[in-house]
Amino acid sequence: MIIDASTYIGHWPFRRLRYNTAEGLVTLMDRNGIDKAVVSSINAVFYKNCQEGNEELAEEIEPYRDRLIPFATLNPKYVAWREDLERCVKDLGMKGLRLYPLYHNYGLLERESRELLSEAAKMRLPIEIPVMLVDPRQHHWMDVDRTLPLNQILETAKRHPENVFIVLNVKDVSPIIEGEQPVPKNVYVEMSRLTAVLTKSIQALISRIGVERVVFGTGMPFHYAKPALLKMEILDIEEEAKEAIYWKNIAKLLGLNVD
Amino acid sequence: MKKIDAHCHVARRSDGSSRGWTNADLVEAADKLGIDKLLCSTPVSGGQPTMDVVRKCNNITYEAMKEYPDKILGYAFVNPGYFTESIEEVERCVKELGMIGIKLYNQYRADEPVVLPLIRKAAEMQIPVLWHAGHPPSPEEALRWGQPRISDGVHIAALARKVPDAILIHGHIGGGGDWEWGIKALRNVPNVYVDTSGSVVDEGMVEMCVKYLGAERVLFATDLSMEAGVGKILGADLTDEERELIFWKNMDRILRRRKV
Repeated sequence: MIIDASTYIGHWPFRRLRYNTAEGLVTLMDRNGIDKAVVSSINAVFYKNCQEGNEELAEEIEPYRDRLIPFATLNPKYVAWREDLERCVKDLGMKGLRLYPLYHNYGLLERESRELLSEAAKMRLPIEIPVMLVDPRQHHWMDVDRTLPLNQILETAKRHPENVFIVLNVKDVSPIIEGEQPVPKNVYVEMSRLTAVLTKSIQALISRIGVERVVFGTGMPFHYAKPALLKMEILDIEEEAKEAIYWKNIAKLLGLNVD
Repeated sequence: MKKIDAHCHVARRSDGSSRGWTNADLVEAADKLGIDKLLCSTPVSGGQPTMDVVRKCNNITYEAMKEYPDKILGYAFVNPGYFTESIEEVERCVKELGMIGIKLYNQYRADEPVVLPLIRKAAEMQIPVLWHAGHPPSPEEALRWGQPRISDGVHIAALARKVPDAILIHGHIGGGGDWEWGIKALRNVPNVYVDTSGSVVDEGMVEMCVKYLGAERVLFATDLSMEAGVGKILGADLTDEERELIFWKNMDRILRRRKV
């Protein structure tokens, strides 16, 4: 069983993506042996009113509900996000949130963010935060030109122990591995951009926060799935620990019954 | 399937410091990923290194070659600003130490006349020149990267037209710059190859290389992003024949062209 914690569908304004429909994503999942995937709408990142992107997502994945697990994109600084949150969870069956502080121009420590996190905690919704969508070294002139500092997420997690945070698409985990402060227990890390050989950042991360807080992801369709799968394949850890990363950890966070 | 990594580095940096792992670790990683040969260099990534520094860099590469003669091959790193001496150093590295090509970094841009004597020498010897390259989002960002003279596809294409018998490699198309820019710029210069290395694993990148340049001009490489390097070739929509060209046949063919 493999569950991908990091996939998307929708239009990316700055490069032509392939396989960026629900059908296309499932094609990639089948090709790569991935059973289920957490998915959100790229459109929702760019619409002022994110909710229309969430509505599109729910509609498009309807035939694939057994494979695709929708996460809502919300902007706590945009009007009526509480109503959108309720609609996403109660009517559209969304299982978590994806937040984009850089794209939506807010800080995770601001009042509106705190309110959103508080509501998400009440609903037991995990929060996924991609520190970047594409590598900023190649950003389009209208795109965000930096990554979200991991320390901002760690500080937010420390102040919101009732929430679960899953960090996506992160390459540099040194604030976690080398930080002097204990890593908040509610922080999970998706492994697709880390390494299993040479610098061995996956192993370093496991040593620091435990295998139960590392989850598998690919970043499809922005990224090829094979690099992440290859890292898992050659990772020098017990099979049981691999199973935890491949699916058990995320299944637990999502309350999935997949045994 | 056999694999030749066209762009890699050894365990010690140009200043002699460790990258945090050993050449044994590098070879072990290559073995895990089924990489047969690692084409390595030790470049200086900023400033204008003197010939003394350059020779030390190449000696570091040579030590690794001696340590793993069946696995590690070397590129000679030089600073083209030293007209005569850089050519002499290439000759030392290739003829005496058995290196297979030249690695250039960002000391000069590929379209600057200063590089021509060296590139003409490489063409004469029919050895490949691997160029650290990438297209930054803006000149200001190139400055922020500390690389105001980084070459991109346009600069390398200009050089390729001036020396059409040179064998040029645009380094790490997945190294962080605008890879669509790099690929498009090189479409009509048949003597330039691209290597696919770098940590960027954008879906469709390898396919675009093949679409614009043909599979014969695409070289598998890692630049130490080992799993990313292998994974993106395995994951791309390619025929087995194309994958084989990229993984090793193209580089093998380049290596067989050497006249030294």
